[in-house]
Amino acid sequence: MKIVRKIGYFIALTVFLLLVLGPFLWAFVLSVTPEHAMFAQTLEILPETVTFENYAEIFTGGRKGTLVITGILNSLKAVGTTLLVGIPICLLSAYALGRMEFKGRKLLKDLLLITMVIPVMATIIPLFRLFVERELLDHVFWLSMVYVSSYLPLITWLMMNYFAAIPRELEEAAQIDGCGKVTTFLKIFLPVSRPIILSAALIMFLNTWNQFQIPLILASSLETKPVAIVVSEFMTKDSIQYGLTAASGIVAVIPPAVTALIFRKFLISGMMKGSVKG
Amino acid sequence: MKQKILPYLLLAPMILVMGVLVFYPIAATFSYSLKKWKLTAPNDIRFIGMNNYKSILTAKSTWYSLQNTLFLLLLVVVATTVLGVLLSLFLNVSVRGSGLLLAIAVLPWALPPYVNGILWRFIFHPGYGFLNKVLLKFGLVEAPVEWLSSRWTLLLVVAVVVVWRSIPFMALVCMAGRQSIPHELYEAARIDGGNGFGIFRRITLPLMLPFLAIGITSTSVSAINIFDEIIALSGYGDLGKNILVESYLTTFTFLDFGKGSAVTYLVMFLAALLGVFYLRSLNKEVEY
Repeated sequence: MKIVRKIGYFIALTVFLLLVLGPFLWAFVLSVTPEHAMFAQTLEILPETVTFENYAEIFTGGRKGTLVITGILNSLKAVGTTLLVGIPICLLSAYALGRMEFKGRKLLKDLLLITMVIPVMATIIPLFRLFVERELLDHVFWLSMVYVSSYLPLITWLMMNYFAAIPRELEEAAQIDGCGKVTTFLKIFLPVSRPIILSAALIMFLNTWNQFQIPLILASSLETKPVAIVVSEFMTKDSIQYGLTAASGIVAVIPPAVTALIFRKFLISGMMKGSVKG
Repeated sequence: MKQKILPYLLLAPMILVMGVLVFYPIAATFSYSLKKWKLTAPNDIRFIGMNNYKSILTAKSTWYSLQNTLFLLLLVVVATTVLGVLLSLFLNVSVRGSGLLLAIAVLPWALPPYVNGILWRFIFHPGYGFLNKVLLKFGLVEAPVEWLSSRWTLLLVVAVVVVWRSIPFMALVCMAGRQSIPHELYEAARIDGGNGFGIFRRITLPLMLPFLAIGITSTSVSAINIFDEIIALSGYGDLGKNILVESYLTTFTFLDFGKGSAVTYLVMFLAALLGVFYLRSLNKEVEY
């Protein structure tokens, strides 16, 4: 019986690893396959010769490779701006909506939450027009503001849940000691919020890195376009460069993958209600 | 006095950002949708009432895209839910290195959806892509399959690719839900003589439901909003377009802002239906 269970688990593990890692491995194989052998009419899975030309193109400043590096830097800039502006706004909103009594609280909360389901396309046409008129196109900062507006509801909601688990007594004790609302927030809430801030930062980082539709419309210049857009441009109809696409795809995946690997703990804790208690 | 203003003061940045970048554009999109407005005819912008809606609702192309959207929605939600729950069970087995397995499991969720589409395009490459090689090798097909050039196989591939990326989130939500259930509840149930299935039915399932609801609604919303993968797999073509791609093409390829806005409102309507459920499951407090 125990043996059967072990074999069952082993099979599940193999299927799991194959399905999750397979696509990455195949893309890697293609990225080191010489262009002439790409999709050759052979049933061999591994290429006969291996080349690192595509990676050399990216990392040693080839004309097209430079685009990839610029794209990565642009993505990083957007991530930085989004975090710096987004996290404080979300913390303040979550504290006010979750821990204060005032007129219109429920309405504001519902309005904020409902925007979670609104598709990007519903706002992008007027935004495009606004950006054209005010000459905001191709500025990483304004692009990042649009990202912030799309993460605000989810992150605020997660933080609200997190705050909800902080005991009222702590807050009351602080107030008896003469702390105002703001001091209470700074002294009681902020110090215990490190895990949720990390969760939020992680979610925002991954989402910003992954943007495609918004920058497709709002960021077309070399100075702003993120790495996903750069990769997509290697796939244009007239000349698909599979090797370079595969290599740049792999390179584009590394930052979010490594970050997710390191901070994986905060992925679950951010979603758990009452995670402060433990 | 100060106490009364403070909450609004704290909310001011959020209200500003959401007002300018979300609520104003949503209203503006609606007003665009009531106008004849093509960038190719910039001097002929005028109010035409519901005409854009009439014309998109009678266009074959809209219904074609809508069918694709619904097909993807159904397939993605069902498959993601089932496989996500299975994955969460698998990841819950504690073995040496289960932390590493969790880390591997979140990879598909962490990568850009566009790159996700690219990775799978290599697998479903119509010539000698990975899957065709395998199928040919085992003699399951005689000639390479053209996965991406007929409507339903293309949509099936899109669904597979999106499901692959959506499973980790569903599994994470399930795991978070499972871990939020206090151990004491299980101990109490065992002392009261509950058996495995009884405990599952009375404790695990009801307490997991709100989490599952969040997972399912959020998967549905992203299933309606599939865009990157379709573009990565088939380009800006008509074959696999869903209603969102339709809206993009109408607006930014055919430069018809009026009609494009109307198509967008169709997507909004679909999303709003789901939104009601979403709001309900989010606002529900779990009592332990």
